[in-house]
Amino acid sequence: MIELKNVTKYFQTKQGRNYILKDMSITIPSGTNIGILGRNGAGKSTLMRMLGHIEFPNKGTISSNHTFSWPLGLGGGFVGKMTGRANVKFVCRLYGRTPKQIEETIAYVKDFSELGDYFEMPIETYSSGMKGRLSFGLSLAFDFDYMLIDETLSVGDARFKKKSKEALMKKIENCHVLLVSHDMGTLRDICDAGIVVNQGQMYYYNDINDAITEYENINKKAK
Amino acid sequence: MKARKPLSIFLAVQKALFLRELGMRFSVSKSGLFWTFFEPFMQVMVMVLIKLLIFGKSANTFDFAAFLALNFTAYNMFKNILIKSMGSFKANKGLFVYKQVKPIDTIVARTLVELFITGVIILFFIAIGFYFHFDLNIQHLPLVSLGFIWLAIFSFSLGLFIAVSNTFYPSIGRVIHILMIFIMFSSAVFYTIEMIPASLQNILLYNPLTHFMEMIHGNYFLSLNDHFVDYTYMLLWTLSLLYAGLFFYRRFEERIISL
Repeated sequence: MIELKNVTKYFQTKQGRNYILKDMSITIPSGTNIGILGRNGAGKSTLMRMLGHIEFPNKGTISSNHTFSWPLGLGGGFVGKMTGRANVKFVCRLYGRTPKQIEETIAYVKDFSELGDYFEMPIETYSSGMKGRLSFGLSLAFDFDYMLIDETLSVGDARFKKKSKEALMKKIENCHVLLVSHDMGTLRDICDAGIVVNQGQMYYYNDINDAITEYENINKKAK
Repeated sequence: MKARKPLSIFLAVQKALFLRELGMRFSVSKSGLFWTFFEPFMQVMVMVLIKLLIFGKSANTFDFAAFLALNFTAYNMFKNILIKSMGSFKANKGLFVYKQVKPIDTIVARTLVELFITGVIILFFIAIGFYFHFDLNIQHLPLVSLGFIWLAIFSFSLGLFIAVSNTFYPSIGRVIHILMIFIMFSSAVFYTIEMIPASLQNILLYNPLTHFMEMIHGNYFLSLNDHFVDYTYMLLWTLSLLYAGLFFYRRFEERIISL
């Protein structure tokens, strides 16, 4: 269960405050994979970062008894000058893994990300697809209650996309996802429930299809 | 995932950050390792040379090369902790996506790395001292060690305070960079307070760093003493800075993370 109590979040712009959420109270039930929908700039990623406790509301509280992954985006949280291996090691240490577990994780991530020799090269030499592959492989090596995914499924070539989707489907047998995506197909495949963020409000739908219908209505009105 | 206790999270984060900082310092370029140890050595050599050229071989009651080596090691530690802390939030911004990494952790880790490197540099100097048969007798080893650790805590407190202010007013960082030279000349790095005219002594003793330098070399050399050092004054500075640093940090932590 994720509980939002009187949450207000805005960004200060020259024209005034741009509200993402305005005095929002809502309870999101546990046990579902949730897709987050909204127009560009509506605050989907911000909402996700707030749920992951790395961005904070201006007012109100967000509480939950679940663990969340770091937001999986395109290679955020890596140090450019360090090798892929060193970065994986670093994250393992952050989560308090023992040296033996670290070796296992490294072997797994190296195998999954298919980086080959690049695994021993500094991250700054990677293409964005390679970074995405490393980041996604690394996240699969950890167990969270919720994985926060920000459009990472679109990394790599068609074959790798298929592979990561399969890996994710297997992973979500034991955990859940919060997924930000513009791809309705992916959302329908993975998510059960949906959240639509629009003009300072967020709405929860038990069925992802209802969320998608609402999102399409919003888009129509905007035109 | 199994829930961990706050202390074990902190320790895991510190270990990860510490090893990462060290790794970045040394593995990125091989010259990094060389210069970390050779630079302080060069500094001392140049200063000894300048002193010989300007003042000649004046009679000191202590070994001037050892005196400079000791002071520069302490001063460099202060300077490095301060400068590294100032840039720490920006440099480690990418790590705040892991929610267990708090901005203050990066400053703690950088301070520990500097303390560690200082320790190794001291061993390096001692090795040189042994080889060339310098007099390595120390008057009060515990007090000298305490001086270094206390100075690290003082530098950390100042660094944290400035890092927080620097985040919101970037001009502060520039002012500090300019002030560094002035601080170096006014804090008994090249001289002891005893060598200075009495009228100037009182002014220099307002600088807390002067007290740290006096404490360290006063307790190191047999012929020097620490009777200019006001330990209460040092403690007051350290505690006030630590309090102010932590107070502002707590207030602005969330803003620093989501910067």
